[in-house]
Amino acid sequence: MKSCLSFEEVLAVGEPRLAEMQHVGDIFADGESAEACAAFTQQVRNVEAAVLHSYAIAATVARKADSLEEVAEVWKKMSTFCHSALAILARLKDKYPHCGTTELYDRVLDYKLACDKRYQGALEEKQCLTIALPRGLLPEMR
Amino acid sequence: MPDDSLAEGVVARDEIAALAELFDRFEFALDPLSREADEAESQFNDQIENLFESRVKPALPEHSPVSLPVFRRHVCHLCREFLRKNRP
Repeated sequence: MKSCLSFEEVLAVGEPRLAEMQHVGDIFADGESAEACAAFTQQVRNVEAAVLHSYAIAATVARKADSLEEVAEVWKKMSTFCHSALAILARLKDKYPHCGTTELYDRVLDYKLACDKRYQGALEEKQCLTIALPRGLLPEMR
Repeated sequence: MPDDSLAEGVVARDEIAALAELFDRFEFALDPLSREADEAESQFNDQIENLFESRVKPALPEHSPVSLPVFRRHVCHLCREFLRKNRP
């Protein structure tokens, strides 16, 4: 059987991880208790894996994209996914200060910035292509 | 598969092939925060700037709108096409 997934569907696989982190984060009254930190640390690991894995797929999809519009779309969706994770982490990082939360927040922020840079790059590339280079400056694709 | 999809220009096709390798290592890095990606991007930018100053700028007509950032984006685009055709 040969199946294809869209990048949206790939991201949808990671979304329950974010919801679960939020749910577990809200369960405990005291985020500094050992039980709470153990449970939340597991959520931090799961979300980290989802972000890193989704980013790697985004890079692979962007590499194969046929157009700059498609490239921009992939990075915009990945950036939105990171933004969703950051919104939850921003709310919970003070409640769970010793569970890897701050470290994950910083890492996801760096990944989001990497997505935004590539998204912006694709838009700029499209814009720059409207300025023609003199013929013969760059080799032409056959 | 031979890399024969480019014709020669002021910038040679071998140079584009080498730039495409660097572009691949940072733009599509599976870990964008890796040292390898960072180094590849830095080398790519240095080589683009060097090409622009040494060979492209002197070849441009007076008052050309082609600046270093515009040239860089054109090269990025060519690298994308090169990779799609030669390193699928």
